[in-house]
Amino acid sequence: MNDQAFLKVERMSVGYGSTTVLDNLDLAIHKGEFVALLGSSGCGKTTLLRTIAGFSKPFNGSIHVANRDVTQMPPDKRGMALVFQSYALWPHMTVAQNIGYGLKLQKRSKDVIDARVNEMQNLLGLGGLGARKPAQLSGGQRQRVALGRALAIDPEILLLDEPLSNLDARIRLTVRHEIRSLQKRLGITAIHVTHDREEAMVMADRIVIMNAGRIEQQGTPEEVYNKPASPFVAAFMGAENLLSMQARVNGDQIELAEGAFNPSTVTARSGRSLASGPVQLRFRAEAARLAGSRDTASAEPGSLELRGQIASVSYPGGHWRHAVRLGTDEILVDADTAFAEGETVKVRIPAQSLFIFNAPQGSAAAPAH
Amino acid sequence: MQKRLLAILLVIPALVMIVLFFIVPLGASVVGAFVVGDTYGLGNFSKSFELYSSDMIFTLLIVGVSTLLIGLFSIAIGGYLTLGENQRAVAVLRWLYRWPMFIPFIVVGQILRTFLAKNGLMNNILVSLGVLTPLQTVGFLDWRGIVIAFVWKQTPFVTLLVAGAMASLDRSTIEAARNLGASRLRILIEIVLPQITGTLLVGLILSFVTMMSVLSVPLMINAQSPTMLTADIAFRINAHGDYGVANALGMISLLLTAGVALIYLRQSVKDRS
Repeated sequence: MNDQAFLKVERMSVGYGSTTVLDNLDLAIHKGEFVALLGSSGCGKTTLLRTIAGFSKPFNGSIHVANRDVTQMPPDKRGMALVFQSYALWPHMTVAQNIGYGLKLQKRSKDVIDARVNEMQNLLGLGGLGARKPAQLSGGQRQRVALGRALAIDPEILLLDEPLSNLDARIRLTVRHEIRSLQKRLGITAIHVTHDREEAMVMADRIVIMNAGRIEQQGTPEEVYNKPASPFVAAFMGAENLLSMQARVNGDQIELAEGAFNPSTVTARSGRSLASGPVQLRFRAEAARLAGSRDTASAEPGSLELRGQIASVSYPGGHWRHAVRLGTDEILVDADTAFAEGETVKVRIPAQSLFIFNAPQGSAAAPAH
Repeated sequence: MQKRLLAILLVIPALVMIVLFFIVPLGASVVGAFVVGDTYGLGNFSKSFELYSSDMIFTLLIVGVSTLLIGLFSIAIGGYLTLGENQRAVAVLRWLYRWPMFIPFIVVGQILRTFLAKNGLMNNILVSLGVLTPLQTVGFLDWRGIVIAFVWKQTPFVTLLVAGAMASLDRSTIEAARNLGASRLRILIEIVLPQITGTLLVGLILSFVTMMSVLSVPLMINAQSPTMLTADIAFRINAHGDYGVANALGMISLLLTAGVALIYLRQSVKDRS
């Protein structure tokens, strides 16, 4: 796979001064692929992007584009264009001058520049705004000017550093689709840094989840959502409910020991690499089913059944969200109908929605997000 | 009513200070400029132009050239501090450039007098290095000496303002230009400079006004004719007790600076809006 990769980052370490931000990182991206670097702030995703762009120099390791070593090249020789989080538009230039600046630097003729700027303005829905200054534009328009400025020089790789984080929530939803369809239409390779899970899921072909300077997992949105490889990824992808249990691995089966709130359960191993001992269970609020305590419908094979008490009920929209108390733990479970506070309920979690990991040595600290 | 009285009471000390120490002396010297003998007239002004019109042009040229050079140097230094890639060189420059700011004008004048004279330190060094023979040496104790002194002393001040404004720019506007292939010189001229023209202008105007009022440097370096208006004013008072012409010369330099100050005021109004 690495041989046909268009952009290849190999064994790269980056840092500032004596702090290492990224350590020995490998990443391969194919031509035309849209890759999202997803992680919480401080995980190194922006550093990775800036190093690929050429604004940070790696301590060691290499970056190749189309088998060309670009590790030591200046930013403009790499065939990449970066869209900044703050847009970084030049306030003293008009929209047309901003978009055309890259071509002016390439010493193109005025006609060529004008034609390309027009093309970009039409492509991005900025027609008629060419003479305006950035201060006279809305947030969404500025964002598109920044995109136009990057695309005008016809880069091979488009780098996006949280380009949507400064937009209103509603505009953000439409711009997501605009950027994605533009990228598909132009067939350009794109790397998109974000901390917004949904944004990454909707836009990317492949999601690279980063944590503490390492790649935790990469795969299609469906893979990372349904088969998280680590507790961090599970939590980051929304499986916030956390339970601790004892497990015994037996061939293709995992036996979860009986606890204060659950009977013993046997579930399929489904290829998980797991050792017997204390485990962390994670699942999403919407994946669990809630039933009254007298509900006698037998649980699906392999699903985990918990018994708890409703602590509180809220309505975030579309469904009811219940906080269910299990001793000192509390989990969140969604249901279509509301249960009464204090009611004793059964919580059933289907086998495929149950994420099981060996409990980390020492503290079982889980990321807050 | 009580409150208003209190407010007026609070303002009065400041108002009295301004009236007593600023408006009254200014008014007195403006009026004094028109006093000729026992009557009022334009005699002091005609005498001023008759005797000192070449000094007026000399003053404007010196201060103008100095302002221009200060602008160029502060842009160059500020630009290097902002865009320089050699971290050590940037640190050394950052440490060095401010020093002249803390040296009084009179000391600057004295230092440069001993340095720039025909048989001063600079020429001695050049001669001992074999660059010049003693016969080829030229003293710089004329308009060039004054310009050197002004630029030496005022560049750090303007650089401080300019470098501060450059440092507070959104760095990604610089990186965006680098990303598209702009050289550092182009980034300085086309990206950085247009975003800090306001600050640069303010720094240069404040420098202009300061240089217009410096007496010690022209006295130390070039007291012969032509010299700067400040030296003429001091001469009228100290040698002749001629307050009338001194006041008229003061009025004239006030008008020259007022033109520049007007630009400053318009700029600060524009910044605030």
